[in-house]
Amino acid sequence: MKNNYKLIKSKTKSNIFSLLRPYSWSISFLVLLAISSSGLGLFIPRIIAKSIDKFVTNNYSLKALLFEFGLTIIAIFILTYLQSIVQTYSSEKVARDLRNKLSNKISKQSYSFVESVNASKLLTNLTADVDSIKLFISMALATIFSSVIVIIGASILLLIIDWQLALAVLTIVPILSILFYFLFSKVKVLFKKGREVIDWLNRVINESILGSGIIRVLDSEKFEHDKFSAANSNAKNIGIQILKIFASLIPLVTFIASLATLTVLTLGGRYVIAGSMSIGNFAAFNSYIVLLIFPIIIIGFMSTLIAQASASYDRISEVLDAPEPENLGTDKSTLNGDIELNNVSLSFNDKPILKNLSFKIVAKSKTAIIGPTAAGKTQLLHLLIGLIKPDEGIIKYDKKNIQSYDPKTLHQQVSLVFQDSIIFNLTLRENIAFNESVNNDNLEKALLTAELNEYISSLAEGLDTIVSERGLSLSGGQKQRIMLARALALNPKVLLLDDFTARVDNKTELSILKNIENNYPDLTLISVTQKISAIEKYDQIILLMEGEIIARGTHETLLETCPEYVQIYNSQKSTNEYEQ
Amino acid sequence: MNNYKLNKVIDDSKKLNILATLLRLLPLLRAEKKRIFLATIAVFANSGLNLAAPILIGYAVDNYIITKQFHGVLIYAAILLVIYLLSLVANYLQTMIMGTVGQNVLFSLRNLLFNKIQSLPVAFFNQNKAGDLISRINNDTDKLNQFLSQGLVQFVANIITIIGAAIFIIIINWRLGLFALIPAFLLLIFTRLVSPWIKKTNALSLNRVGALSAEISESLNNFKIIIAFNRRDYFRKKFSQANDENYSSAIKAGIANNTLAPTYGLASNMAQLIVIAYGIYLISIGNFSLGLLISFIAYISRLYDPLRQMAQIWASFQTALAGWDRINIILSLNSDLPTLTNNDGEVINDSLLEFKDVYFKYSEGKDILRNVNFKLQKAKTYALVGPTGGGKTTTASLMARLYDPTKGIILLNGRDIRSYESGERVKKIGFILQDPFLFSGTVRENLLYGNEKLHNYSNEQLKTLINKSGLSELLKRFDEGVETKISGISGSLSLGQKQLIAFMRAVLREPEILILDEATANIDTVTEKLLEEILNKLPAQTTKIIIAHRLNTIASADEIFFVNGGEITHAGSFQNALSLLLHGKRSS
Repeated sequence: MKNNYKLIKSKTKSNIFSLLRPYSWSISFLVLLAISSSGLGLFIPRIIAKSIDKFVTNNYSLKALLFEFGLTIIAIFILTYLQSIVQTYSSEKVARDLRNKLSNKISKQSYSFVESVNASKLLTNLTADVDSIKLFISMALATIFSSVIVIIGASILLLIIDWQLALAVLTIVPILSILFYFLFSKVKVLFKKGREVIDWLNRVINESILGSGIIRVLDSEKFEHDKFSAANSNAKNIGIQILKIFASLIPLVTFIASLATLTVLTLGGRYVIAGSMSIGNFAAFNSYIVLLIFPIIIIGFMSTLIAQASASYDRISEVLDAPEPENLGTDKSTLNGDIELNNVSLSFNDKPILKNLSFKIVAKSKTAIIGPTAAGKTQLLHLLIGLIKPDEGIIKYDKKNIQSYDPKTLHQQVSLVFQDSIIFNLTLRENIAFNESVNNDNLEKALLTAELNEYISSLAEGLDTIVSERGLSLSGGQKQRIMLARALALNPKVLLLDDFTARVDNKTELSILKNIENNYPDLTLISVTQKISAIEKYDQIILLMEGEIIARGTHETLLETCPEYVQIYNSQKSTNEYEQ
Repeated sequence: MNNYKLNKVIDDSKKLNILATLLRLLPLLRAEKKRIFLATIAVFANSGLNLAAPILIGYAVDNYIITKQFHGVLIYAAILLVIYLLSLVANYLQTMIMGTVGQNVLFSLRNLLFNKIQSLPVAFFNQNKAGDLISRINNDTDKLNQFLSQGLVQFVANIITIIGAAIFIIIINWRLGLFALIPAFLLLIFTRLVSPWIKKTNALSLNRVGALSAEISESLNNFKIIIAFNRRDYFRKKFSQANDENYSSAIKAGIANNTLAPTYGLASNMAQLIVIAYGIYLISIGNFSLGLLISFIAYISRLYDPLRQMAQIWASFQTALAGWDRINIILSLNSDLPTLTNNDGEVINDSLLEFKDVYFKYSEGKDILRNVNFKLQKAKTYALVGPTGGGKTTTASLMARLYDPTKGIILLNGRDIRSYESGERVKKIGFILQDPFLFSGTVRENLLYGNEKLHNYSNEQLKTLINKSGLSELLKRFDEGVETKISGISGSLSLGQKQLIAFMRAVLREPEILILDEATANIDTVTEKLLEEILNKLPAQTTKIIIAHRLNTIASADEIFFVNGGEITHAGSFQNALSLLLHGKRSS
């Protein structure tokens, strides 16, 4: 098992058009509207010509003109208006659905996936990448379809009038196609790079916000500026490179198209002079060629939108096609609380974190894990709650592999008090009853146990006070107690504590520990801690160092057998005396 | 404390007219004056060349094809080729120059915005969401770029073309001309009426994009809680709600943006109808000729075709303005921690750090500190103890001037702390924050972060220094030493490891005052002994201020303060502090 995900280029080259399949009705309607409004537009010159002709032949009637012309332009207005509405709705719908699809996919992924793919990239995926697909649909799609139809129509007309001259003129089509293809592939790579720079910018901004405290303490605004400026210059360079291609594409297309006009003038002129072509046909040829060139230029403009959208879609597909966690367990049985680890190893980026751990924990017992910083204690807890999977070995709950349990059932019964405080921008109640199955009794019990009642009653809005992670209404100790209450509110069978009392004062800590003992007597407790005084009476103490178990046993045994343990004990001895 | 909530800062700039709003963009463009001028020339050259080509073709047909002089055709073909080539160049230059302007403005605007944000105090970050700020820096600036690079020159060129065509039409036949301009006037009124609506819907839409981005950031940065508490649906639900709101506001904005184009098309067609109907009437009463009518129709499209283009440009202009407003709100904010100048920097006394009648509260809520008075002396170790929520971190934050007191004064070396330049102040004060933050990169980058003195040290020099300061034992905790990689926001490091790095980072700076705010809370007690030794190796005149719950951490303090319920009192002896801590009454 690897906890390191590299997004791979999806093998099934999913085309951006495949994304549109579910919307084929509204897209077809859109194209139909676009074609009919531009088709109707062609009538206007004819109506004008007819009116003038009628006027000359004295058949003119103002009423007829007003009626015919008025009807046409109102029809065009309605069609174009309708087109703009359908365009807006379908593009926004595609965008919304794609975002939901992405978020659903992300929400099913593992913790390691989100960590290794990086939140900043996923943010770009969900915002800027989806936006370029939206832009493609709202601006380019209908136009491209109707342009292609006009090009085909005009080509046929040209071929009918004079196929030789037409063929000569139409050679520009393959030339332009090659040009498009060449530049398209180049610009797509650049767009992709451009998006990656946006990921980078997002990351720098995100870190500068999360680290705003340390930046101000160190007055390191200039450092941050340099970091940001580096990413920003990179974005600008890529922008200029894209611009260069774009700036040469349109003039080139226009120029090549103009060459067609030139061909008509010289070659057609020669035919006319030679008498093989009538001057009327020559004139018609000239006006149709304008008809042919205009949509080609439009496609040139739109091609960058396609390139950008398809680069974005590739990036989105990487996330959508990433494998989901497999073989999720289905066992929904209630846990007793026996835990067993068999030869569990874990490494991160090829660095071993945990080495061949094996131990047993009896249900309803208390186990402490102690050891120096960087021993792998936090990772061990992450393994026990299934946030990450071991590279080797098996973790068992009640003699069954952790992976055979339905993850939801497991998380309902095993809960972890994280080391770092994570508070959502919600009310206190929503933060603590974060899991939705929490009932009022359990919530009350959790608040009582975490010694939060006094604090909450001091708030004007009590449990309905909205807090935020970086909000200052909470002190470090209060945050940690909220984290504890959140875990206890599940009324778990197994409680994992990750050094949770580090920022709680000793008096509060003692009462909290007593409360847990009294209010949750059947709990299987695993506590990562630094303080020996709090765990002397525990059933088992595991000493972890550099990913290995150094010793295991009760406080008394370890004092007699394990010099490392004695060293830790001695380092705290003075404190112990004061506290007793 | 200032209110920094961006979404609540009242925008009083709503009632500006079009010209005034346009003028507000000018400062951005000042540096690009030359480029914009060149681009405008290119635009005119290009449209001139484009107009010339059909005339030349017509001339060649009339004079050479009909008279069967092929060499003349070839001469004109050659001239046309030159014109096409020139237009190729002009066209390229026009897009390239204006695109560069857009990119330059985008670049400097992003930098400006980021620097502005960096100049704001911590309070700003506590009141705004990361995702929303990201959206303002990336998305809103891009809206401006889109208008500048694709719309601006066209905008100016079109207005000039439109005015020119209008004058031309009136000269040919002023009555018909005025009639033909009626739809254009109607459009002008229509545009004025709908523009505020377009801008408003776009502003709302951009706000929703910001909210969506904020939702994503919050959930993804905290993904482990979402998994561990079975709330994968939380992310889905919150996201889907923000997504739906974004959808409905985007539809409103899209519909608003798209009202212009069909209406402009209708007006253009109406103008043709007016010309043909009224023109025929004029001919019938003998005031006009058929030939003039036909060319008049051609000129009418010269007037209305650019107007149609304006419909698109105008909508993107309104979006850009809405984005510009969101950006401007940030740019108009100022830090509420200015450096005092003039005489306020006089030395009042000789204490190292002194609180005089200090009161403090955060923008909302009650006083956190009340009438706090104390003096700290050089080269001593102080401890702040007390129950959680008592005001210890706040006190430390005031020492490091993350905030200013609501009332009272803080003196550093006998001088008002507000009279120090921030660079000067941070050299004196080292502050290890409660929540250590590491930047993605390497351990080395994090150790030397913000340290201008050591920034250019080679790894060997750094190693020597680390050995000298006694930090090498700590560095051993990291597999690849200073080159150990640190990835992601939460990454693979535990809190204890992060605290180690934050500790080393602060020690390497050798500050005069070192504040440790529960800086070692998650570090094991054996390692902590080591940290104590390292602290003892610091220059003798270093003053240490320690906030901790672990009693052995504070046992060696020269003086202990008891912080509780917003008041700071001398705790006297260690034993007395203990009894206060364990049995004392607490008012928080």
